[in-house]
Amino acid sequence: MRFYDMENDQIPLLSVSQFSALINQTLEYAFPVVEIEGEVASFKVNQNKFVFFDLKDAESSIGCFMMLFHLRQPIEDGMKVIIRARPKLTAWGKFSLTVEQIRPSGEGSLKKSFELLKAKLEKEGLFALERKRLLPVMPQRVGVISSVDAAGYADFIRIINDRWGGLEVEVAHTQVQGEKAPEQIVRALEYFNEKEQLPDVIVIIRGGGSKDDLAAFNDEPLVRAVAASRVPVLTGIGHEIDESLVDMAADVRAATPTNAAQLLVPDRKEIIRMAHQQAQSTGYQLVQAIEAYESQMKSQLDAAFNRVRERLDDAFERLATLRLAVSQLSPESALRRGYAIVRGSSEVGAMLEIETQKSILKAEVKDVRKK
Amino acid sequence: MSEKNDSQPTIQEKLAELSDHVAWFQSGAFKLEEALDKFKAAEKLAESIEKDLTKLKNDIKVVKKKFDS
Repeated sequence: MRFYDMENDQIPLLSVSQFSALINQTLEYAFPVVEIEGEVASFKVNQNKFVFFDLKDAESSIGCFMMLFHLRQPIEDGMKVIIRARPKLTAWGKFSLTVEQIRPSGEGSLKKSFELLKAKLEKEGLFALERKRLLPVMPQRVGVISSVDAAGYADFIRIINDRWGGLEVEVAHTQVQGEKAPEQIVRALEYFNEKEQLPDVIVIIRGGGSKDDLAAFNDEPLVRAVAASRVPVLTGIGHEIDESLVDMAADVRAATPTNAAQLLVPDRKEIIRMAHQQAQSTGYQLVQAIEAYESQMKSQLDAAFNRVRERLDDAFERLATLRLAVSQLSPESALRRGYAIVRGSSEVGAMLEIETQKSILKAEVKDVRKK
Repeated sequence: MSEKNDSQPTIQEKLAELSDHVAWFQSGAFKLEEALDKFKAAEKLAESIEKDLTKLKNDIKVVKKKFDS
């Protein structure tokens, strides 16, 4: 570097490259990283790798460049965004911002970005019902991703301790809001999915918050990581009305952290009640079986008794018939019909006794003829 | 639920055994001669499940690993 003496002031004489490097050095020193809010214009992606757009407001516009993999949410022209970038003068003398992060700003842009990403992932089938897996009824090992300082996490732990016991719970402490949250949660998901002994379920927990606070759960790589998890994922993020894209990609979505605990484990009081009810039901069935056996025995005895009685009745009936027949054949029966019984010898001169119904007569045989 | 050891069946195993007893009462294998013993076994299992569930605590560990990129 040479210096030119101009009225005792030393002005550096620089090559173009040197000047460009000096500007960049100065920029790096003065503004190592800047956050700028503006509106996106002329957004385009080149070679599926490089992203170019202008960031503008009413009076100014600055060209921006970023790598596509830094883009975690869909962006399009007209959206209001906040970028985190490093200012740079290019070798061609063009001032540009090298963007490291970009996120929608304001409700309208957040909603627009949400809808764009939702449509894209829905088309890919990430939210399809047929992809959803059931949670184990009684998990043994549970991976939890949350901030251990958050109220939502405390609620979740309190409820699972109240409801169930014997769980092995491993907690990955991550941020659950802000720019670092999505990447940390993705890494926590990878941690649980790479374990030698996989957990039975992974639970992502985050209490309520503003739309901005919950925006981390609409991050594209995070949504994809949830959908790709080998282990079923249960989410308990925000409140009932806050449905994030992570919720949509999860296997089961709980309305709140408390609800996630309720869906994760059964209530021990309910299981105890059910176990006693089942044991009692065997008692009822035993009593019913004894009663049925008793009833069956009684029926069989009744049937046997009835058969004996029927046979006796038959016998008595036959006996009565015989009695009648016998009585009709008796000599008294013939006397009542007007006949008489004659006793004695059928010889002339013999004395006979003649018995009628009402009297006994004596008679003598006068004549005997052959019929 | 905690790991099973050789002598102690897990809660799930006890619940499954209890369900088996209940199913036996409704199956064709039912015999009045064996029913009383099965009923007593079911009651004992329910008591044991209550005891286990009442005393078991969760083991909660925070992973030491940092998840920053």
